[in-house]
Amino acid sequence: MSSPYEPAWLDAALQAALARLKREPDVRYAEVRFVCDSSEKLRVRDLRPEQVATTSSRGVAVRVLGERTWGFACTPMTDEASVVAAAERALSIARASGALARRAVPFPAAEGVRGTYETPTQIDPFTISTGQKLAALDAPVRALMGKGRQGKPIRSAEAWMDWTRTHKRLVTSEGTDVRQTFTYGTCGMQAIAIGDDGVSQRRSYPTFQGGDGFQAGYERIAELDLMAHVDRVADEATALLTAPPLASGTCDVILESSQVGLQIHESCGHPTELDRALGTEISLAGGSFLQPELLDKLRYGSAIVDLVADSTSPGGMGTFGWDDEGVRAGTRHLVREGSFVDYLSSRETAATLGRASTGTMRAEGWNRTPLIRMVNVSLQPREGTLEALVADTRDGVLLETDKSWSIDDLRLNFQFTCEVAWEIKHGKRTRLLRDPLYTGLTPQFWRSCDAICGPDEWRLWGVTTCGKGDPMQAMQVGHGAAPARFRGVTVGNGGAS
Amino acid sequence: MIGGDDLLALCKDALAEAGEGEAEICAVSKRRGFARFAIGELGQHMDLDEPSAVVRVAHGARVAEAGTSQLDRESLVAAVRSASRAAKLVPETEGFAGFADAGRSIERAPRFEQRTATATAEERVARLAPTMEAIRGAELISAGALETSSHALAVATTRGCGRAHDGTWASFKVWALETAGAGGAAGYGGHMQRDVAKLAIAEETARAIRIAKLAKEPIGIDAGAYDVVMEPVAVAELLEWLAAIAFGATEMESGTSALAGRIGEQITGAGISLTEDPNDPGEHGFAAPFDREGTARGAVALIENGIARGALYDRTYGARAGTRSTGSALIPDTSLLASIGPSALHMNAGDAASVDELIAGMDRGLYVCRLHYVNGLIEPRRAVMTGLTRDGCFLVERGKITRAVGNLRFTDSLLEGLARCDGRTRARTAVPTSWSDAGASVVPAVRMRAFKFNGRSQEKAKLHE
Repeated sequence: MSSPYEPAWLDAALQAALARLKREPDVRYAEVRFVCDSSEKLRVRDLRPEQVATTSSRGVAVRVLGERTWGFACTPMTDEASVVAAAERALSIARASGALARRAVPFPAAEGVRGTYETPTQIDPFTISTGQKLAALDAPVRALMGKGRQGKPIRSAEAWMDWTRTHKRLVTSEGTDVRQTFTYGTCGMQAIAIGDDGVSQRRSYPTFQGGDGFQAGYERIAELDLMAHVDRVADEATALLTAPPLASGTCDVILESSQVGLQIHESCGHPTELDRALGTEISLAGGSFLQPELLDKLRYGSAIVDLVADSTSPGGMGTFGWDDEGVRAGTRHLVREGSFVDYLSSRETAATLGRASTGTMRAEGWNRTPLIRMVNVSLQPREGTLEALVADTRDGVLLETDKSWSIDDLRLNFQFTCEVAWEIKHGKRTRLLRDPLYTGLTPQFWRSCDAICGPDEWRLWGVTTCGKGDPMQAMQVGHGAAPARFRGVTVGNGGAS
Repeated sequence: MIGGDDLLALCKDALAEAGEGEAEICAVSKRRGFARFAIGELGQHMDLDEPSAVVRVAHGARVAEAGTSQLDRESLVAAVRSASRAAKLVPETEGFAGFADAGRSIERAPRFEQRTATATAEERVARLAPTMEAIRGAELISAGALETSSHALAVATTRGCGRAHDGTWASFKVWALETAGAGGAAGYGGHMQRDVAKLAIAEETARAIRIAKLAKEPIGIDAGAYDVVMEPVAVAELLEWLAAIAFGATEMESGTSALAGRIGEQITGAGISLTEDPNDPGEHGFAAPFDREGTARGAVALIENGIARGALYDRTYGARAGTRSTGSALIPDTSLLASIGPSALHMNAGDAASVDELIAGMDRGLYVCRLHYVNGLIEPRRAVMTGLTRDGCFLVERGKITRAVGNLRFTDSLLEGLARCDGRTRARTAVPTSWSDAGASVVPAVRMRAFKFNGRSQEKAKLHE
């Protein structure tokens, strides 16, 4: 079987590298991974083409587990001699590092797997002309700027569309041989209004830039329908300039679904990464409050909180067939009925707990080593609509679209600001409030969750550049969520800080 | 690895072969040896190859870009042709006036050290062994990384611009920890140099151990305004965010920058000056002498004695703003935050002989060793930022460190905080930019009065409450 993304000689090169490594008695495991990326980034700002760029990248990664520890090397060349040389460098590094190792890395053997995965698409985005795509971005920007010229102070408007196709071929010393081809996209727009005092307000659609990713084809652009949201985006950006600020205090908070998604990302996704919990991410991101002794013992959230890691969700940025260690995609609870029950893990880290990998190892590209990464970490829907939830709220705020985000190195103390707040009084949205900020501590916050909307309000969001690792790797991850209510949250006003 | 001159020759050759009238190639070849350790073990040791080239082609003011990871003539020519096809389809870019010409000649500042470029995996292991042993000996747990990398950069245009650069980068960072990943006392040390042999590995390891021991048994303190002394690595993280939201042409043009419409106005403390200074010939110099467009870089005053003086531009944004490029187009894919920005942001030094002298000037305050997860998008006009302390936060009473305190969250305007800055050290430190590979910030330790802290991390013992 061949692939249009693989050069004709690739198979021989990958197998030669594996054969070279398997000859060495101290090689316990080896993986050779070919990655080929093509991407297109389009951005129209203020009626000008800010970015019209295509990029292609390809190369081969080799990760070797020696007698005691790992070595990693890579090459942008795909010929047999270069790939074998990379394998030899990886082995050499594993041996050199082994001199410092006090223990051998645990790595349970696994049966090799074979298969293919491909993103289902209706319209291949790479068959659509650049001109057609730019026109789809130019129209909403032109309309937003036109609003600015009609007396509304829209100072700047921007729309963007990115497409990436990634093909991966993974072969391992265990006999694994899988091919996967992914199509990722992102599309959105934002308007910036600036008041007489020079202070700016931003309004975005469908959510903040970088949170609007998906795994699908060009058909998604029509579904997003940027033009249908121009008036609301412009009106709200303008209204925010004169809206009163959210007052500091404590109140009930409803987060719309993309904000729930980011809340999951920062306060559930990252702390359930087992490498963080064990301490291997200190040099960039930090540790985790979710330590192994808390498994099945910590009440992470209220009883209605079910958080699930699902690498099979249709359309999710964290969806695949197999991870970069050859572990098959699957669905697992991280939090079940409020109780912390599992981690995102790798074969090595899971073995330290006597568990099986939950299949989350992914690398950004051919020149990066795989790390534990979120898949689609999602909050399971319950029941009801957003409007019914608002009607059920006596005194609170509905917060929409993230603006800033920060959380401590154990993932406990978080603080977010959003683009807008809607005041809720006696079950009705009353007025727009600007610069809303909310803050809290992860377990207390999730334990205060007393309502989650139903499947009709649930939406799968995609974070396009989740940063982790050292050197930094950006990764596509997904979060499904419906709007949810949290009681007694500390809120304030970011602009007044 | 291919060197800068050979890379430039390759770019020129590809441009000649492609035969486009208006084109530019910016090519980078980077080789990184990266030894990352944690839980007292060297678990991720990597040999990383990072080649990339970005080609731009213009038909009049219609500009498109194509990138490739393949640094060979055939791939570069293919990228030129791909960009050319795309450029025919795009609208005009206002302000685009062609790619750079030969420009003025530039002197190559010292940026390359052979010992770093040729460092082997065995050498990195040998340099790290004493660190891991020392931390183990102190009954703490080690984590960190040692990087030895070299890079070549070349820019060529069809208008005769031809620039080449070679540099090296050696970086060491170390943590001494009470627990591997569960929090508790932690100390950090870090150092960067062009020459791996000049890294102060033993000194920084000792510092991390000393801070970690001091940081044990922290007390919780209430949120509020505290005088604060911040180490350079904390200051650099704040300034990196300020650079992302305030100094770039994009933010100036959209009007969101704190400097937009305020050039010549006092925007922060009269003692504060911030300069983009990429040609530092000393040990703090890491930046290339030209940017991704081939524009020669020079010093740019951004804030001078508290007064907004200027921003950073590439050629197109500069033309639209009626000014010239400052050589601030960042190398592609080196920054998550911006495409135009500084690569060598310098804060002016003060006159304090040491951090201890700054601490001695506080009756009651906090000594902050490092920050975590700063975000500067809350209110860019005032540069309102939030973030947390990490790896050492201490209560200072009557001029002396008295207790470790638990990590705290701050939310304050950096510009207003710097307006309350009344002390900086004479010594400055080069700090790698944390969210990009664009370069290093060179900063002193600073003292700010009444910096606002609005929350604290939860003590682990209260997790079940």
